[in-house]
Amino acid sequence: MFAPLTADQQEFQALVRDFMTRKSTEAEVRRLMETEEGYDPEVWRRMAEELGLQGLVIGEEHGGQGAGWIELGVVLEEMGRVLLCAPFLSTVVLAGSAILEAGDPDAAAARLPGIARGQTIAALAFPGENGRWDAAGVTARAVRDGDGRRISGAAPATIDGHVADVFVVPARGEDGAISLFLVDRGDGVQTRPLRTLDLTRKVADVTFAGAPAQPLGEPGAGWPVLERVLALAAVGLAAEQAGGARAALEMSVAYLKERVQFGQPIGAFQALKHMAADVLVEVESASSAAAYARWAAAEAREELPAAAALAAAFCTEAFVTAAHQNIQFHGGMGFTWEVPAHLYFKRARADEILLGDAQHHRELLARRLGL
Amino acid sequence: MGVEETARAWVAEHWKGVDDPAWRRSVYAAGYATPSWPAGPGALGCSRTESEAIRAVFADAGAPGACRELAPFNEDPWLNLIGGPILAFGTDDQRERVLGPLLTGEVDQGCLLYSEPGAGSDLAALQTRADLDGDEYVVNGQKVWTSGGHEASFGLLVARTDWDVPKHAGISFFVFPMHQPGVEVRPIRQITGGSRFSEVFLTNARVPAANLIGGAGNGWKVLQVALAAERRGMGELVLDSAGGPTATERRPPLFSRSDDLVAAARDAGRLDDPVVRDEIMKLHIWRLVNDWTAARAIAELRASGSSSLASLGKLANSRILHGSAALRFRLLGTRALQYDEAADPEGHQVDHDVMMAFINSIGGGSDQIQRNIISERVLGLPKGPEPDKGVPFNDVLKSDATRSLG
Repeated sequence: MFAPLTADQQEFQALVRDFMTRKSTEAEVRRLMETEEGYDPEVWRRMAEELGLQGLVIGEEHGGQGAGWIELGVVLEEMGRVLLCAPFLSTVVLAGSAILEAGDPDAAAARLPGIARGQTIAALAFPGENGRWDAAGVTARAVRDGDGRRISGAAPATIDGHVADVFVVPARGEDGAISLFLVDRGDGVQTRPLRTLDLTRKVADVTFAGAPAQPLGEPGAGWPVLERVLALAAVGLAAEQAGGARAALEMSVAYLKERVQFGQPIGAFQALKHMAADVLVEVESASSAAAYARWAAAEAREELPAAAALAAAFCTEAFVTAAHQNIQFHGGMGFTWEVPAHLYFKRARADEILLGDAQHHRELLARRLGL
Repeated sequence: MGVEETARAWVAEHWKGVDDPAWRRSVYAAGYATPSWPAGPGALGCSRTESEAIRAVFADAGAPGACRELAPFNEDPWLNLIGGPILAFGTDDQRERVLGPLLTGEVDQGCLLYSEPGAGSDLAALQTRADLDGDEYVVNGQKVWTSGGHEASFGLLVARTDWDVPKHAGISFFVFPMHQPGVEVRPIRQITGGSRFSEVFLTNARVPAANLIGGAGNGWKVLQVALAAERRGMGELVLDSAGGPTATERRPPLFSRSDDLVAAARDAGRLDDPVVRDEIMKLHIWRLVNDWTAARAIAELRASGSSSLASLGKLANSRILHGSAALRFRLLGTRALQYDEAADPEGHQVDHDVMMAFINSIGGGSDQIQRNIISERVLGLPKGPEPDKGVPFNDVLKSDATRSLG
């Protein structure tokens, strides 16, 4: 399982890292986070056209790369490292996975090429107003309208909902069964960008009022698909978190070597050295958890639900720890807007609750172990 | 004729199906005991691949005692611990006298005479003295945390031969004969009530100057080779246990790694307690991620010969061992008040584990020393002030050199 990355995968990783480092500089992150869209369409286009990132796990028949979750995990880790501002998690990992996992050839043929080309931004409108991560979180309603369906409901914290062209919406039919639908931006769809804690990842309040919808996958079979999508999203977010945690530690170590107090670099003080060593344990452990989870997503689907919950629980806390301690290491400077430590901290805190918190994932893990 | 054919012919001629001292001596004399060590007593100086071929020849014939340099650390710990230092720093004479008996099976048990009451984390502050007297050194001082002191025929001893130079520069490394007057081994009673280790009192004990490895004042360097072998051995142990005790079961470790904790919670009727479930899952996750980090370390070691990840496992293991034992202790409730192996072996084991977890967090470099090492060697943070740096050891502030625990 821990076959180290192959030479090809390493080359790909280097390519992605180079791209991310050049395109998502601190200055760029700060520029984009102040915009309402929150991403750079030109960078988004080049991600698709030059690197094929949006279509990485989409089959070649739909214009994708036909690569796997190992590669996608590598990409997300690099994105997390630089706090890339882009609707990638929403488009590729959440909505994209839903379309891939739904087993709906028509929807796949209709939607995946646009995602792979970087022309479609997609979002998952879940959970509903109650904010729950189980089936009770599906609160939208689907009603028949002639041959079609219309969706009503709300998803008040939809990642990148403000820029999405299309939404994957889990909704309950008249019989209460959960199905997935695709809803295009248009009549009956309202999105309102929120002012967010984490400015590097935008969230919108999305409301559907009788919006026309197309079914995605088997009617009534929406929850198992959504559960799989949430597991994959947990793997993806864990990869981002592992990358973010590593970046926060690197920032900490640089500052510990440079900042001088009491006549020595503060990194010579054991109190701080020991904190840093403990953060390293968390960072490397997070990388291990993320690597195992992406392997499970790629090659051992029977382990995916448990591995995803495990990685989500661990990487969430590791990133919060690394980002928190990074501010603590920076002292007063860490409390300023100028030093980017707060960007990682806010991303880490927002990620902590983005797909359910660590306790939620530990309980999921317990159940998936059969307890 | 290649080495393999030569070996085959030699085995055919000499192996009579009896593994006795004479056989071991003949294997040694023919150079098959450690073929890939540099040419010399017991060795041929052949390649590792050739030695592996020779090993196969001996294995085919069912003949033991060959190619011991290829064995895992645990099969031949003393050969590993003393072999490296002697090959790196010893003379041919020392190789013959010290390694010979190990390879012929006349001697198999040694002990480590490193730590002292005043030199634990700071081993280089050791105060056991070795003073030259003719062609012998006279040794005085106290060592602690020695295992197997009673059974050992030799000890690897670090002692101070020069007090007027900075601490590392005055240390010498000896292969020390244990069976002599002036050596007193006393068991240390541990917090568990048991005794795994001893303290060793050295009073006018003697060691031939010929047993000084690497020359006077070079002991710290020689010791590093021995410690590296020990760490490699510990690493192999970690690798062997990676995946945990249930890895052989049909269920993957992802599901089974914490069966012990689940069983304990079930027995206590607490498996539906959300606090207990959360705690078990935390430990389960710590165990697995540490296994996986170890697996990454192995992959890195194989690919490049070094891995910074290898230094993290022991530190990360402390919270796992302390946390797992503490949870099982609390799950036992008042049953854990009794510490009586005969009356309640299982409860006794849990109490025992609560205490034994300190072996990981203190032994072999405490967690705090590990954090220093990790922060300096992996993260590259600067060293803090070192008041004893460059100061003649005589002038350095020291702890008491002796303290009897018996």
